[in-house]
Amino acid sequence: MNSKMSGTARLITCIASMAMIFVLFLPIWRIELSAPQYPEGLVLKIYADRIGGDVDIVNGLNHYIGMRTLHTRDFVEFIALPYIIGGLISIGLLVALVNRRRLFYGWISLFLLIAVISMVDFYRWEYNYGHNLDESAPIKVPGMAYQPPLIGYKQLLNFSAYSIPDKGGWIFAAAGGLLVLAGFLEIRKRRNYKAHHSPVPALAALLLILTSLTGCSSGPSPIHYGQDNCDNCKMTITDRRFGFEILTEKGKAYKFDDIHCLLDFIRSGRIPKKDIAGIYFADFSGNGQLLGQQSCYLLKSPVLHSPMNGDIAAFASLDSMNKYKKDLQGQLVSWKDLYR
Amino acid sequence: MYTFKQISCSIPLIVWALTFPACKPRNAATTISSDAAEKVYVQPGKYDELYNFVSGGFNGQVSVYGLPSGRLLKLIPVFSVFPENGYGYSEETKPMLNTSHGFVPWDDQHHLELSQTDGQADGRWLFANANNTPRIARINLATFRTEEIMEIPNSAGNHSSPFATENTEYIVAGTRFSVPIGDDQDVPIDSYKKNFHGTISFISVDPASGHFKLAFQLTMPGIDFDLSHAGKGPSHDWFFFSCYNTEQAHSLLEVNASQRDKDFIMAVNWKKAEEYVRQGKGVKKKASYSHNLLDEKIHTANSVTETEVLELDPVALKDMVYFIPCPKSPHGCDVDPSGEYIVSSGKLAALIPVFSYTKMLKAIADKQFEGDYEGIPVIKYESALYGEVQKPGLGPLHTEFDGLGNAYTSMFVSSEVVKWNIKDLKVLDRAPTYYSVGHLMIPGGDTKKPYGKYLVAYNKITKDRFLPTGPELAQSAQLYDISGEKMKLILDYPTIGEPHYAQAIPADMISKNSVKFFKIEENQHPYVAKGEKMAKVVREGNKIHVYITAIRSHFVPDNIEGVKLGDEVYFHVTNLEQDWDIPHGFSVKGAANAEILIMPGETCTLKWVPLKVGVYPIYCTDFCSALHQEMQGYVRVSAAGSSVPILYGTNRKDADTTLAPSSK
Repeated sequence: MNSKMSGTARLITCIASMAMIFVLFLPIWRIELSAPQYPEGLVLKIYADRIGGDVDIVNGLNHYIGMRTLHTRDFVEFIALPYIIGGLISIGLLVALVNRRRLFYGWISLFLLIAVISMVDFYRWEYNYGHNLDESAPIKVPGMAYQPPLIGYKQLLNFSAYSIPDKGGWIFAAAGGLLVLAGFLEIRKRRNYKAHHSPVPALAALLLILTSLTGCSSGPSPIHYGQDNCDNCKMTITDRRFGFEILTEKGKAYKFDDIHCLLDFIRSGRIPKKDIAGIYFADFSGNGQLLGQQSCYLLKSPVLHSPMNGDIAAFASLDSMNKYKKDLQGQLVSWKDLYR
Repeated sequence: MYTFKQISCSIPLIVWALTFPACKPRNAATTISSDAAEKVYVQPGKYDELYNFVSGGFNGQVSVYGLPSGRLLKLIPVFSVFPENGYGYSEETKPMLNTSHGFVPWDDQHHLELSQTDGQADGRWLFANANNTPRIARINLATFRTEEIMEIPNSAGNHSSPFATENTEYIVAGTRFSVPIGDDQDVPIDSYKKNFHGTISFISVDPASGHFKLAFQLTMPGIDFDLSHAGKGPSHDWFFFSCYNTEQAHSLLEVNASQRDKDFIMAVNWKKAEEYVRQGKGVKKKASYSHNLLDEKIHTANSVTETEVLELDPVALKDMVYFIPCPKSPHGCDVDPSGEYIVSSGKLAALIPVFSYTKMLKAIADKQFEGDYEGIPVIKYESALYGEVQKPGLGPLHTEFDGLGNAYTSMFVSSEVVKWNIKDLKVLDRAPTYYSVGHLMIPGGDTKKPYGKYLVAYNKITKDRFLPTGPELAQSAQLYDISGEKMKLILDYPTIGEPHYAQAIPADMISKNSVKFFKIEENQHPYVAKGEKMAKVVREGNKIHVYITAIRSHFVPDNIEGVKLGDEVYFHVTNLEQDWDIPHGFSVKGAANAEILIMPGETCTLKWVPLKVGVYPIYCTDFCSALHQEMQGYVRVSAAGSSVPILYGTNRKDADTTLAPSSK
């Protein structure tokens, strides 16, 4: 009885195995390349059995720096991988059918092992391609290697390379994630529902990893006074008391030196209003903090003499506003008053 | 029972997967300042501030733009035939394209240089090079016509040309492709190192007439000479060239000519060369090259074959030529307005070396040589180096100057223009180009006193900048305002051919001299008809000369009979108009060449050999007046043995007076 799997685990095993069928046909990994003269971008797609995408164009470019050309036939991986994935699928379905917990654990371990080996192998060939350069290449930059990132972004001369899992890879990762969860479930079950062994910590850890990865696209981007230019009037943003920012859904930040420019920019329609994720104002105290539009207090006063005479200052609290209000006079206004 | 909860926990993973690309750094978006339109807008009826002469690359022509509007004003045919106006098709202009290889109807026009006086453009002439069949041309900026073309002997790939010394004493020509020269040129290609040579030619320009003379030629080792610029002020006596392929490769140069860490900048003391010429140290050698000159009086070009070259050997004649090592296949070779700094851009290098003229002189005086290359002393890199611009960008090509102590270098690979300070070699600003900039041009940017204000980037790749036009796209140009600290993109416009180098000059330097029409009384063309009464048709054997006049809105004669198969007909069309902008055109059905456009007061000749019996219309092709459509006539062509006499005239009802039989 104990050696049997739970229904949940069996279901997950089935789903994960079936989902993996897609991995055989969808691209698993992609390396996106972009350069000024390739505004449309280039992409290399790694499938279970081949390299796809703009392979010929990339090969044409790589000869300048002496990189070997990429050919599907040069990789034993493309012969083995479909069998390995096929094997994983078959074993998974078999595990669900045979319904033995030990087999199930074994399968998860095998799955994770293959995932790790694949990534190590991927890193290894990225390293080889990036480092084993032809000595007689026309362009040799001392100390420069052209290894694409395993995951994430890297600048390689004029190309920015961006390496991420593609559809197949995400399915593989999701399957893996599900299996790990199912594994936890099984372990937890075997330990007789002990409260302190709830899966919550594990889940929390997983979530933490995920949120930390997504972290790069959240929150306003700090304004570099004296360096950043106003995206409306193009003048350098210098006055620390007046800084304004629009953050788009895609995480791009537009910065302004005055409320006037911010409003002008929104009205110009250069970015669709629905793309605006947040609007931020610099704290008038000059502490560099950017305050969200909903959580700050706005004071309008002609005494302010802001760079473009928009004459709006932002404060984190009414208290801090009142500190300045004696000198500044003026009146409290709302975002709605300003933006109609 | 946890299943749902736990499956839902994987949702963040999927969300992450979808949002992950948002983290990817974005390319700098095009930022156009709001006053850009104002800066490039030239009101209807107003003139542009500058003339901008732009090389046409593979179209062999020169295009003339107005700046800052970017409006195309004219195409000047130089090295390529131009059916639009008959250049290279009319009897008068055919000799212009004559070479030692016969009539060559096309070339690859790369660089332009305005004639200079005291290191500044004087607006008299524009010089152009032909890269393929080595030639240089002179364009008269009063008429915007090609007046002179000279072939360069012992050369191939005339690339480092036609750059001028400060008072246009000389313009230079150099060999991008070294070739075997002399008597035995039938040699194996792999005997490159032994048999191939480069040459550097100095062509003197007559200060009054502008006429070319090949003054002397330096025989160089067989390497590739790329670009050049003359010294200025203190370095007046010197000329600087960039050299690549010091590996002396003759195949797969993209790899084999990129092996050495350093190639050369070559410094030539042309005053010293003059001295050797005066001392009779030059060796006269036989050569054969065409020299074609337009005679304005007869509106006709004449081609003569020159037979001699004066050669100087820089190995035997010391103190005339030096090499300076320069990283990785240098391309641009540009001298700053002060004449002290020589900027060279190794197109594969990760830095820009700046050489100092005074340090170079000192190194020569102190004999700071690291050795020699094929007998020519090589100065130590550090001894001539002023400093290096670190991390300027990728693929530096060309540099121009604003006269305020800043240099602007085009970066092909990283597609940007980089502004840097010459004194402290610090990068000050970068502006993206769209895409892959080749040459760049600041008005007067290669002279002693740059006009500054604007910078134009000439890009090799256009892609998505304009509406798509199939696989072949126009090359693009971008105009930047450089009057402030930051470069500002203010205009983006397509161009003609493939622009390489360009020049620009304040408009009034040229517009005030512009010829409006040719005076008919000064026309000494042998076949001119200075009035309708002088129109006639003359048979000379199988050649028929038609002296035909054009004035709004008729030709005289407009009915011609007596032409027979086997005849060659020459229509000598004289435009009798004496007013601005009244050209006439002329064409005849079945002509195997082109039309001709005849300017007021000018005579042009179109040759026509009819192949079939019949009546052939002739007509004016340039809309000249309200009755332009009526400006037409007929030529009757009879069988070979026919007895139809020569008859001609206009308005045959008065046959007795105007339709006269020809005088035999």
